Amino acid sequence: MKDALTACLVEEMTIEEAAAATFVEVEWLLVRVEEGLFPGASRSHFSSRLLARARRMRDLERNFDASPELAALFADILEENDELKIRLRCAE
Amino acid sequence: MEFRNYYEILGVRKDASQDEIKKAFRKLARRYHPDVSREADAERRMKEINEAYTVLSDPEKRAAYDRIGQGYRQGQDFRPPPDWDAGFEFSGKGFDPREAAGFSDFFSQIFGRMGGQPRRADHHAKVLLDLEDAYRGAVRQIALRVPKMDASGHVLLENRTLNVKIPKGVHEGQIIRLAGQAGQGGDLLLEVHFRQHERFSVEGLDVHLALPVAPWEAALGAIVQVGMPDGDLKVRIPPGTRGGRPLRVHGKGIPGNPPGDLILKTEIVLPPADTPAAKAFYEKMAREFPFDPRGRAE
Repeated sequence: MKDALTACLVEEMTIEEAAAATFVEVEWLLVRVEEGLFPGASRSHFSSRLLARARRMRDLERNFDASPELAALFADILEENDELKIRLRCAE
Repeated sequence: MEFRNYYEILGVRKDASQDEIKKAFRKLARRYHPDVSREADAERRMKEINEAYTVLSDPEKRAAYDRIGQGYRQGQDFRPPPDWDAGFEFSGKGFDPREAAGFSDFFSQIFGRMGGQPRRADHHAKVLLDLEDAYRGAVRQIALRVPKMDASGHVLLENRTLNVKIPKGVHEGQIIRLAGQAGQGGDLLLEVHFRQHERFSVEGLDVHLALPVAPWEAALGAIVQVGMPDGDLKVRIPPGTRGGRPLRVHGKGIPGNPPGDLILKTEIVLPPADTPAAKAFYEKMAREFPFDPRGRAE
């Protein structure tokens, strides 16, 4: 067996990395970050925890012609839904 | 390679308009989107639906698909004729070739060439790990399907297995980076998801566990041993603990800076009254304790 490759934990990403991981243009992500649709993100800091949100918003905009604000609102609801599902599982 | 009938997947006629295709896709996306669907195979169906929509919603891809798909049925063995794409001019709009990693071999073979150039050399994939890996770190073999561009510009999917040292402290949704593993100097970014654990539930960095305790442990307090992914842990149960009360053990969740907490949900388990001695003991308690669980203790 070959030597194992060492993986590093990534908490913060650059906007470019996050855009590449979401398969969107950097500009797409940057505009939404600057409009405040990604809580806590800025031009220089993008938490890797926001990637799932970016993918959801991309899909909603691409597939349902949602405006960025509507996609963000729906992402908020889905995130709350995720949180409630986890809490329910933990409480069972 | 199996032929994919994208019209059948979306449930539309071959002469469906773009508007009909979009409506059919949206209807199916509402039904199968993994965020909201209760269907057992929602994730697999959603991938199929996305793949079909990626092709049929793009006039270039749809025209090419219609040309090569004449006479084929869903699931039929399929080999694209040589040079089938001669004469097509592809703009490369619409999808990033790395998205093809989630699609079928059929898609990659036919449409791989039609994607644009990757915007960055990094690659991205999801991996499933166990909660134990988060506590102890681990070396795991990870199988990936990697889109690669061949000399003629087609995107082909290659199977690749990596032996990866996972650092401890990974959490759900965590990104881990394998420097230089994406080809052309790019990094491979893996997104971690945990398999469902039979004992533990995970909420961010916090880890939840049901903890059965005996009535006397709950009433009098006790120090009990709890089996954790990284070994046994001694936990103090405070006197007067009620069933269902969560006990928070700081810093014993997923390791990190700061680490998560371990949240124990106490479940008071009664010893069965299945022997004469046990029955006699319960009877003695009933006589000696003026206790009404539906009211106040006197």
